[in-house]
Amino acid sequence: MVKEIERAGIPVVHICTVTPISLTVGANRIVPAVAIPHPLGNPALTMAEEKALRRKIILTALKALSTDITEQTVFDVE
Amino acid sequence: MRLELGFIPIHDVQFADTSRVEDGVLYVNAEDIKALVLKDEHISSVEVELARPGESVRITPVKDVVEPRVKVDGPGGMFPGTVSRVKTVGQGRTHVLKGAAVVTTGKIVGFQEGIIDMSGAGAQYTPFSKTQNVVLILRPQDGLSAHEHEVAVRLAGLKAAMYLGELARELVPETIETYETLPLLEGLKQHGDLPRVGYVQMLQSQGLLHDTYVYGVDAKKILPTILYPTEVMDGAIISGNCVSACDKNPTYVHQNNPIVHELYARHGKDFNFCAMIITNENVYLADKVRSSDWTAKLCEFLGLEGVIVSEEGFGNPDTDLMMNSRKISEKGIKAVLLTDEYAGRDGSSQSLADAHVSADAVVSAGNANQVITLPGMDRVIGSEAYVGIIAGGWDKNKMEDGTIMVEIQAITGATSEVGFGYLSAR
Repeated sequence: MVKEIERAGIPVVHICTVTPISLTVGANRIVPAVAIPHPLGNPALTMAEEKALRRKIILTALKALSTDITEQTVFDVE
Repeated sequence: MRLELGFIPIHDVQFADTSRVEDGVLYVNAEDIKALVLKDEHISSVEVELARPGESVRITPVKDVVEPRVKVDGPGGMFPGTVSRVKTVGQGRTHVLKGAAVVTTGKIVGFQEGIIDMSGAGAQYTPFSKTQNVVLILRPQDGLSAHEHEVAVRLAGLKAAMYLGELARELVPETIETYETLPLLEGLKQHGDLPRVGYVQMLQSQGLLHDTYVYGVDAKKILPTILYPTEVMDGAIISGNCVSACDKNPTYVHQNNPIVHELYARHGKDFNFCAMIITNENVYLADKVRSSDWTAKLCEFLGLEGVIVSEEGFGNPDTDLMMNSRKISEKGIKAVLLTDEYAGRDGSSQSLADAHVSADAVVSAGNANQVITLPGMDRVIGSEAYVGIIAGGWDKNKMEDGTIMVEIQAITGATSEVGFGYLSAR
């Protein structure tokens, strides 16, 4: 899906846990997620901590979307 | 570490008033097993049934299969850290009721459980159609969580296998096989001129009922470590898995890991089988990175020249497999990978979720998506109510004539990634 949307000229960020698979299949902008069963959350955290974590991941994804790249790039969540 | 396995062949199983082994027949007092299992307050009822090779019997949903064994000499007991007290095992003497197995079934624990057919087309795909099976049909107490239910069923199977294994304690084995691995430096002195080979076993540890235990430790919490390969013959690794039936390793397969046995068969002749490394398959990327780093590091530290790597399960563990392949290869060590394929029903789709150029020597245990039609059976142990929802089944896959269509994914052990099966390209 990532590749088909990009083929239409729209840049895509792939948020996913197993970034090596994302690299193998050819996504260009990749943001690591938390874990396979809960990519955008973490049941070990409090609600407030989890919300902050989600915000960080989404902000990283938005930054990735607006960054010019020349090769496949993984944007680490800071 | 040196272990003798004494094999007592079992060619029939029967109910009797006293549990015992006589002339290759395993006699089972079902009431003894029921009383043992019902000591666990999480189990509300248990039935015991027997299933023999060639009978028109289907066992489903199968959770685990366990081989009855007993330690007769040497430290520790069977399944250390889980049922027996924790103690390093793998030396001395162990007796095996070869040909017998305990199979657990009952109310389904997780949706990825299996089918064992004792005859017909399906019997060709599962190694447990050839064993004399003592089947426990377990019902949990109401209100138990899935995880509590899994623990209860897991322990029931192990305890029943230990109970039956105990019958072999005083028996004289028909054959005795000896397996020995020396401490690394001594092994190098003895087999200095032979290539140094190791075995990397990846253990299913994705959680959510996809778990394996090592000396009682949840494998998702281990760092890769080293075992003497004889340790697994005494139940150091056990299955807590409800992952796809075709390519999970039931406890029986850990006890009888064919890769370990094949490597021992050529140990000291063609190569020096130095050690076994176990690692996991977790759902956090950091864990995948760390575990594959450590696996490659241990291979390097042991001075291995070649390793066999076996996967358990499929999907995201394909990435663990490829990370292991890449990192071991980058150390200058040759790696052969054992996996299975999910290549679609016609076999034309991509087989694995991930790939790497270093994976240039890969053995496939078969295509789990292959569809098979299973004949109706005279007797079902457990329930066919789940054949449409287990992995490899689909809604309304039971036909009016009683036949069932499934992918071989649903058959216990069909595409065993350690090669404990019958599929072959020959």
